[in-house]
Amino acid sequence: MTEQVASKKEEEVLAELDSFAELPDAPPKRKFRLSWVGWLSVGIVVFWLLICVIGPTVAPFHEMDMEGDDSFLDAYSGEYGTFYLGTDYLGRDTYSRILFGARNTIGISLAATLLAYLMGITLGILAAVKGGWIDMGISRVNDAILALPTIMLGLIVIAALGSSIPILIGTAAVIYATSVFRIARALGQDIMVQDYVEAAATRGEGIWWIIRAEVLPNAAMPLATDFGLRLVFVVLFISSLSFLGLGVQPPASDWGSMVRENLQGLTYGSYAAIWPALAIASFTIAINLIVDDISAKSGGSLAKKMV
Amino acid sequence: MMTQMVFQRIGIGFATLMVVSIIVFLATSILPGDVAQIILGQSATPESLAALRTELGLDQPGYVRYFNWLGNMMTGDLGISKAGGATISSLIGGRLGNTMMMAGWVAVISIPISIALGLWAAMHPGTWLDRIVTFGTLSLISVPEFFIATVAVLILAVELHWLPSTAYMTGNETFVELMKALAMPLITLVIVVSAQMIRMTRAGILNVMSSPYIEMAILKGVPRGRIILRHAFFNAIGPIINVIALNLAYLVSGVVIVETIFAYPGLAKLMIDGVQTRDLPLVQACAMIFCATYVVLILIADVGSILSNPRLRNPK
Amino acid sequence: MKDDKSKSELNYKDLTQSDKDLVAKLVRGGFSRREVLKLSMVTGVSLVAAEHLLFDGKAAIAATPKKGGSVRVAIDLHGPNDQTDPMQFTSGIDYARGRAVYSSLIQHANDLTPQPELAETFEPNSNATEWTFKLRKGVEWHDGSKFTADDVVYSMNRHLTEDSTSTIKSVMASVKEWKKLGSHEVKAVMHSPNADLPTLLGIFQNKIIKNGSKGDWIGTGPFTMESFEPGVKSVHKRNENYWREGAHLDACEITAITDPVARVNAVIAGDVDMIARVDPKAYRQVDSAEGVTLTSIPAASQLGICILKNTKPGENDDFVKGMQYIQDRERIVKRVLKGRGTVGNDTPISPAHGKDWCGELPQRPYDPDKAKFHFKKSGYSSAELHVAPVTSGIEDTCLLAQANCAKIGFDLQLKKVPNDGYWGAVWMKEPMNVVTWNMRPTANSQMAIQFGPGGNWNDTFWNNARMGELLSLSLAETDPAKRHKLYCEMQTLIHEGSGMVIPAFSNISDAIRDNVMGVPTVPLGSNGAAEWPEFIWLA
Repeated sequence: MTEQVASKKEEEVLAELDSFAELPDAPPKRKFRLSWVGWLSVGIVVFWLLICVIGPTVAPFHEMDMEGDDSFLDAYSGEYGTFYLGTDYLGRDTYSRILFGARNTIGISLAATLLAYLMGITLGILAAVKGGWIDMGISRVNDAILALPTIMLGLIVIAALGSSIPILIGTAAVIYATSVFRIARALGQDIMVQDYVEAAATRGEGIWWIIRAEVLPNAAMPLATDFGLRLVFVVLFISSLSFLGLGVQPPASDWGSMVRENLQGLTYGSYAAIWPALAIASFTIAINLIVDDISAKSGGSLAKKMV
Repeated sequence: MMTQMVFQRIGIGFATLMVVSIIVFLATSILPGDVAQIILGQSATPESLAALRTELGLDQPGYVRYFNWLGNMMTGDLGISKAGGATISSLIGGRLGNTMMMAGWVAVISIPISIALGLWAAMHPGTWLDRIVTFGTLSLISVPEFFIATVAVLILAVELHWLPSTAYMTGNETFVELMKALAMPLITLVIVVSAQMIRMTRAGILNVMSSPYIEMAILKGVPRGRIILRHAFFNAIGPIINVIALNLAYLVSGVVIVETIFAYPGLAKLMIDGVQTRDLPLVQACAMIFCATYVVLILIADVGSILSNPRLRNPK
Repeated sequence: MKDDKSKSELNYKDLTQSDKDLVAKLVRGGFSRREVLKLSMVTGVSLVAAEHLLFDGKAAIAATPKKGGSVRVAIDLHGPNDQTDPMQFTSGIDYARGRAVYSSLIQHANDLTPQPELAETFEPNSNATEWTFKLRKGVEWHDGSKFTADDVVYSMNRHLTEDSTSTIKSVMASVKEWKKLGSHEVKAVMHSPNADLPTLLGIFQNKIIKNGSKGDWIGTGPFTMESFEPGVKSVHKRNENYWREGAHLDACEITAITDPVARVNAVIAGDVDMIARVDPKAYRQVDSAEGVTLTSIPAASQLGICILKNTKPGENDDFVKGMQYIQDRERIVKRVLKGRGTVGNDTPISPAHGKDWCGELPQRPYDPDKAKFHFKKSGYSSAELHVAPVTSGIEDTCLLAQANCAKIGFDLQLKKVPNDGYWGAVWMKEPMNVVTWNMRPTANSQMAIQFGPGGNWNDTFWNNARMGELLSLSLAETDPAKRHKLYCEMQTLIHEGSGMVIPAFSNISDAIRDNVMGVPTVPLGSNGAAEWPEFIWLA
């Protein structure tokens, strides 16, 4: 899948940038300032997060209601209520399903990304700090998972364990933890050889103190920039599972499956597939623009480490 | 130094291959059902299942089958598809060629486009052109692949009849016919892959642009275009090569959706088919190819970035 | 509408679904004056208009088949598991290739009566315990060798051995042995009388292959195999040495496009000439497309929900009744199958089975109150149903049931599982799951397979001794009226007592380009149950 590659790309870029970076003597402290595009994006993200919470209460229909008289209706008011965005292939209200689906699409991808970060950073820094056989072992397994197509890994896990939401989150988290692991490990290795870390070690500080006080703060910025993109890849990963007929359990809606199941409506002028696609795009583009903004405004953070 | 690194990487590559084969073996053995059950499907009976399992050698313990496979693999024998009875090499042969051909064409088209557009956007940061490129690529990254592919088919094949809707090859077409057959998946993949490469090229160069020595060069009055082409691009080439390498790896192993939508007989779909029929030798063979491709491409990228960067070439 | 003006006004697209099906059927089968009359009566338009309707856009139909040309046909599934051995055929693409390359003893006509193929005659003894087949002489294999009784005895006995890996081993189990009587005469010795044996011989796996081979694409069929790439395509050339008149086409290519959206787009764009299985979501797209016709052949492909009777919650009869009454059958046919289907009555027999269908059995309605009553009486307030996309529409049927259950306060949880591994890991294992069965050529075999007591595929684990008796009684019964009575009693038993929920049957819906003529309508599978290779031609 594209997201896998992109994740690797991003991580390779960062790792590469970092491989010839010379860090300043102390973790840089800076304030983030956003442009208007950034603020607009923050607004969109906050909006969707709000929908995650209140979506089911404000939706005019339940996500499983098939009240429309026919499939792929245009927006209209019928005896049951108003279909603001028309109905989907089974006559369910697209607008309500998008409101309901936000929880799943955003919730799953946020949870999976956070979990991926937790696992990736823990293992990555462990590998960097401990080195030797531990590093060798974790790295080979990590490479092996990276080398296999994400969709195949998802297919196997879900076919074996079923596609409940915790399993979806776990699967996506493991797959994307591999990329986080590589960034964290590369950053950790870089930081470990810095003078101030060596100084701390000679002062007799313990390994956990070094990780907490020196390694993590220095690795935080590059990892944060990566977070947004990773989230996007998880959203796309979940939607690509829907292509294979997996994904969240019915009647729950997620945006990716909604695009997939209504694709055929495009041929007769139904927008039932377009709206969820726009929802995905608005959320993921907003996240990316925030990321862009942060890295541009704090542009020095990465680049100043170079040369 | 370089030779040593290459040999070390090859060693690590073999270790990774072994780990992949074990992971694939373990993963496929936790799947419900086996190949005999899939072949007989709804009409399986306990007797016919037992008979087919014996015929396919599935009655041996898993680890025996794994080591048999490993032993044969070492001698270059990929084995026989459990599901259909064809040799794995015959199943893979043509598809490997197809996959490589597609990846090659996508690379030839998208790499120059991406680098050019990425450079262009980086040369004019903050302009409308830059914003269009940034926003356009972001939008394309954010939309599921199958959506892009289907919309492309609906417009170019179903409505306009310009291109065939599937990548159907007869095997003896002329170059023009071949290009027409491949056009739809090519367009989709070029869009998907370029969007990300453009973004990465732009980001890589902008990152270098804000470094002190470039700022120094700007202060000294060196023209921006020249800085980018002579200095920034040179320094960003390592990450860009890495991005390209990873995209190529994706084009070999990850394009199952595009292969499915355009009925293009490539390796990625073959592997998914193998998983769905629990055809272990077939899945293993594909996994080996994907892993080897990944290892080799990353190695090439690393060598490339070392060669392109004097500081890495002569470490302190 | 009875004036000439209606000629130009009434178009095929304006007709109701059943009328459209009728027109499509007439156009494909060639039509007589009588049928035009029938159409005009059914649709209420003038004769002239009816005639116009039939010729509307179909002017190119030639009365007699034309020779030549080549078609490309896309089935729905293929992969590295495409088979060469007919004994292990499992998917539509295997069936199509099998039909092109091999022959059977018996062939199904559109109305499912057995027709002679490699067997010129087939006669039972007085009590149907032995069947004698006289084989066609002068038939040659694709490699030039002669077809004899040895080939038949070898091919047919392969299904019967102890360690046979045939997928139809149990279907053929009523035969004890196939014996050679002469160079072109064989005999089937039965374990138990079976009047339906010839019909069974027409099914996909019963192909005759060369003595000692495993198929290997050497057959006696209308096409030879030029190249075979599993999971990619096969290319076939006309067998010039065929024992019948021979195929009309010079060549054909059989491939698959697994993505349902892409498959439909391919036939609309004209990249393939015929596809199998159009998803109900795409019916409107195909209907409104130029140059493509959507077939709609009533069949008995059930959308089934199996409730296991030997475990919770299915052992409780009230729970089963609740699940049966909550099915909004009309709406499933209208909404999910877009009108191309038949309402089911919780038996596997549909009107497509003709006189064997028990129309007297009262139709079970959608009745939420009764469902609520039965669920309450059963003591269950929730249940889990395992769903895999085993046939188009089944998932949506379950979604509709879920929504209806929610309205009466019953929590029907759907657990979506992948198709691969489904038959081994879920079906007949989970307490509630979904199922589909291809239509069987006889009502007896249709019911025997799912409801024969103690049978291998008794997928609701409903063992009824009377059902077993009736199955054998009806096989031996030759009087049509008595037979119908027996069949009706069987359907009533299933309707009342089994754990089967069959709210609907879907029609066979394929898309065919308008220049492809003569596609058979055998209702046992897609594209005329794969009977097309020998019969289609290009207008």
